[in-house]
Amino acid sequence: MDFLKSGLKTVLGAPEPGQTPSAGETVERLVERVEHSTLLEDRRDACRALKAMSRKYRVEVGAQGMNTLKQVLELDRADNETINYALDTLSNIMSPSQFEEEEDNPNVPMNIGEQFTEMFIKDHNNIQLVLDLLDEYDFRVRLSAVQLLTSLLTNRPKDIQEIILVKPMGVSKMMDLLSDTREVIRNETLLLLIKLTKGNANIQKIVAFENAFDRLFEIVSSEGYSEGGIIVEDCLLLMLNLLKNNSSNIHFFKEGSYIQKMLPMFDATDDGEELGWSPQKVSNVHCMLQIVRTLVSPSNSAQLLASCQKIMKYAGLLDALCSILMASGVPADILTETINTVGEAVRGDVTNQDFLGNVMAPSNPPRPAIVVLLMSMVNEKQPFSLRCAVLYCFQCYLYRNEAGQASLVQTLLPSSGDATALTSGQLLCGGLFSSDALSNWFSAAALMHALADNPTQKEQLLRVLLASNIGSSPQSLLQLCTQLLQHSTKMQVKVSQLLDALSNWFSAAALMHALADNPTQKEQLLRVLLASNIGSSPQSLLQLCTQLLQHSTKMQVKVALLMLLSQWMSHCPAAVSAFLKVPGGVGYLVNQTCSNDHDDNEYLLQGLSAFLLSICIHFNDDSVENYSKDSLKQLLLKRIGMETFTAKLSEVTKHESYNKAAKHPQLRVKSPAEIMIDYEFCRLFKSLESVITQSLAVKQENGVADSGSDRGSPAGDSLLQYKTLIRQQDARLHELTAQLDALLQRNQQLQSALNDATASNSHLKDENTLLKAQVSAVNSLPNQSQQVPREDVKVKEHEARIQELTAEVSRLGQELVTSREAHKMAADELEKLRKDQDDLLELLADQDAKLNEYKMRLMSLGQAVEEAPSDQNLT
Amino acid sequence: MAYAYLFKYIIIGDTGVGKSCLLLQFTDKRFQPVHDLTIGVEFGARMITIDGKQIKLQIWDTAGQEAFRSITRSYYRGAAGALLVYDITRRDTFNHLTTWLEDARQHSNSNMVIMLIGNKSDLESRREVKKEEGEAFAREHGLVFMETSAKTAANVEEAFINTAKEIYEKIQEGVFDINNEANGIKIGPQHSAAGGASGAGGAGAGGAAGGGCC
Ligand SMILES: Nc1nc2c(ncn2[C@@H]2O[C@H](COP(=O)(O)OP(=O)(O)O)[C@@H](O)[C@H]2O)c(=O)[nH]1
Ligand SMILES: [Mg+2]
Repeated sequence: MDFLKSGLKTVLGAPEPGQTPSAGETVERLVERVEHSTLLEDRRDACRALKAMSRKYRVEVGAQGMNTLKQVLELDRADNETINYALDTLSNIMSPSQFEEEEDNPNVPMNIGEQFTEMFIKDHNNIQLVLDLLDEYDFRVRLSAVQLLTSLLTNRPKDIQEIILVKPMGVSKMMDLLSDTREVIRNETLLLLIKLTKGNANIQKIVAFENAFDRLFEIVSSEGYSEGGIIVEDCLLLMLNLLKNNSSNIHFFKEGSYIQKMLPMFDATDDGEELGWSPQKVSNVHCMLQIVRTLVSPSNSAQLLASCQKIMKYAGLLDALCSILMASGVPADILTETINTVGEAVRGDVTNQDFLGNVMAPSNPPRPAIVVLLMSMVNEKQPFSLRCAVLYCFQCYLYRNEAGQASLVQTLLPSSGDATALTSGQLLCGGLFSSDALSNWFSAAALMHALADNPTQKEQLLRVLLASNIGSSPQSLLQLCTQLLQHSTKMQVKVSQLLDALSNWFSAAALMHALADNPTQKEQLLRVLLASNIGSSPQSLLQLCTQLLQHSTKMQVKVALLMLLSQWMSHCPAAVSAFLKVPGGVGYLVNQTCSNDHDDNEYLLQGLSAFLLSICIHFNDDSVENYSKDSLKQLLLKRIGMETFTAKLSEVTKHESYNKAAKHPQLRVKSPAEIMIDYEFCRLFKSLESVITQSLAVKQENGVADSGSDRGSPAGDSLLQYKTLIRQQDARLHELTAQLDALLQRNQQLQSALNDATASNSHLKDENTLLKAQVSAVNSLPNQSQQVPREDVKVKEHEARIQELTAEVSRLGQELVTSREAHKMAADELEKLRKDQDDLLELLADQDAKLNEYKMRLMSLGQAVEEAPSDQNLT
Repeated sequence: MAYAYLFKYIIIGDTGVGKSCLLLQFTDKRFQPVHDLTIGVEFGARMITIDGKQIKLQIWDTAGQEAFRSITRSYYRGAAGALLVYDITRRDTFNHLTTWLEDARQHSNSNMVIMLIGNKSDLESRREVKKEEGEAFAREHGLVFMETSAKTAANVEEAFINTAKEIYEKIQEGVFDINNEANGIKIGPQHSAAGGASGAGGAGAGGAAGGGCC
């Protein structure tokens, strides 16, 4: 401070005797001097003094000096030193951060830098002034100008971006600085560009156009890629900005072969492995992974995404990423992010998925990488985010990968041989029944992905498991129980190695779950198993799931199982019927749906139960006597009621966890407790919600005593009547169409028979003509008299043949006539039916219009009208 | 994919004249009647062959609206070629050529090759600008001229390839400083990098598509 005061003294002259001037007064006098002094030196000194004061007294300096400082930038360009002071002073007063010097000054508002920035940029020319100074080669000036722009961007990013965008060459000028040989300037420019490009697609494109990727890769490689310092990280952050949500730039990046240039970044053959990773290397690699993920983000357009994935495979990038997965000494968060990245690099691309499926871990014995990953997923001791990443990666691996889904289910087959090999399927089932709620959830979600959009696997899973039970002998179950009671602490991995019959394994897993949990369940489960032995009815996975669902007390487990069962049973009547046969299954769902617990998570559970219940109805093939489609509908009506039911169903989409999960395939949760709904389930729910509501709405009219229909308003009645009418007409229409089809087919048959007849007819005619000609030829040879008797015989023969043929011809002619008639009749009938159909369609359209009119009327009467299902029925 | 040279192009001209369709026809060989309005700038790329040499074209398709004019200006400096497009069925788009040309000349490097394109030559019945007028304008301002149809693909290949030929000749004559990337020209990497799945493959120069419109 003393230094400052003495400095001021020399500038201002001695203070008035007896009093020291206030900061405000000092600033005022300095500003005056800058503005009015004709001596350059004077102005320079005053600027220097202002700069010195601007850290502690930025309110005063900013309020009084802003305009003057702008003037300096304009008028004193010849003197770099003065310009430099002015720039630094402006930087200080608009700095986004607080200075130490002003900490104890209560007069400095928190956002003072931002306020001054707002003032400064009101005149867009001020930005131009600073931009012009970028052209100045002087080190100090250039650096200060860059730093000032960075401060401005920090305070008002959107405004400054827009201003710079319309300044001719604004962005280009900054890009030029990236090639400045003075590293300090280059590095500061990087920081500036990171701020400049954040969230502005137009600027990002210009920066890319100005060869930014070339520059950045040059810097990154010269700094030693991942081993480089913070400058590498800055380069990568800038790249990330340029690519994020910018498909045009991603396209450019891909076309410019920059994906190939990323390969050295992931060089896993690193001899410094034992030394561990430096924090900077962790940051660098993390950024690189982010860049890869931006290129193959599931939200990118399909075409772009697919071609990026192909290049990654082709260029060896996927290979390099997989090597990181399997390398030792990789920090957990890098491993986690690599797992996510590999997932997205293979998602939906069969070649890449196969590649991943074939990666082997360098374990002993060697195991597929996927299996090793899943082992981590169902391992409580692994970090939570890692487990989430594995699920995501697994989901990506199975996405649109029917072969992958099939081979997973295949691993559950008893015939899959080698019982000592640990398979994905076993791991998941183990996880499903482990005592760790999170493992249950992860495994259920992973199994769901194996079933997604794949009806074959749904049935397969059902069949395979049921079949596998046949091989299991009751004894072995008992043996198992005893064994497990003895080794109650062994993990499921061990058990799975001991046994080959899968049912045993499942039971074992379930049993272990019970054993680990509590004694009551232990008993219960024991009883279940024993009972099943006596009755020799084997336990299926579905049964076990259902039972677990009924007995679990953990929210996540219940949610997971409900999701898994929904996925499994949707579009799979066989699974529905298996579920309906499980004692208490339906009752459980009904009770859950009716439950009145008030809590967000309870609501979710009620909604999911309602959803599964409606799946039981919608995909019901009436194969279980007590739970036919109709009887379930009645049950739902009586026990729950239509309104309650729809209300509960809608709870699912209201739940926060659903909305979060629906946004992105990757699970985005911070803590294990947040895990509830999975993305794949959201897809399923969305696709089925309306279908199911509709199929239940139809039911509503059938249920005579339903609360919904006894509103008894006349409009409602006639609406109902119309709906019934339409349904009848619909049925009739179906009937007629079927008839029409049959007739068309018959007609076709007749037509082809007719064609055959006509063909053979004309053939015979030709033959006949030929014979006639031969006959007349014979007759015209009377001179060969001695031959007459023989010829005569021949002629007789021919005549007989001719007669035969004529008869045949006339018979065929007759046939032709009858077929023609039949054809005509068929055609008439067809015509008539067509007309009938047209009439009906017309009538339908009419009714539809009326229906709509009634609906409108109803609505105008303030009556809520649900979407009529008639549209669906008509098609 | 290895290439001998890389040229950067921009496509400019009033909105609705068919810039985006021209690019799509050139890169993907297809026409999309309902096209999204270009916001800002969109990128496209393709490989061609000239004189037996592989040349990579990187093309930036700009938005024609006034609001995006200043953004478009940022692209002039770094481009080696520009396609200046008007619509032969809309005289106003032809009338605006002078403004576009001034803008381009002011902000680009002096060697930038400009190709004037009268697009939509398939709409002969609705023609408002005679082919001769386009030719005259081009002659007057020292531009290369062509009529094209992004719909039928007539002359589209030629427009892009002839521009490249022109640039290539300038390089041979030593007019362009190929070591200055700001000119929109890059020399290819010597080694063959792995290639992507870029739209249509390379096309020989001087394809056989129909000539200009009658
Ligand atoms: N008939 C015809 N229509 C075209 C042609 N080129 C573009 N169009 C149509 O013109 C409209 C504008 O095209 P677009 O490429 O979006 O113009 P831009 O604003 O210059 O990018 C679209 O409706 C195109 O279908 C052409 O060669 N022939
Ligand atoms: Mg466009």
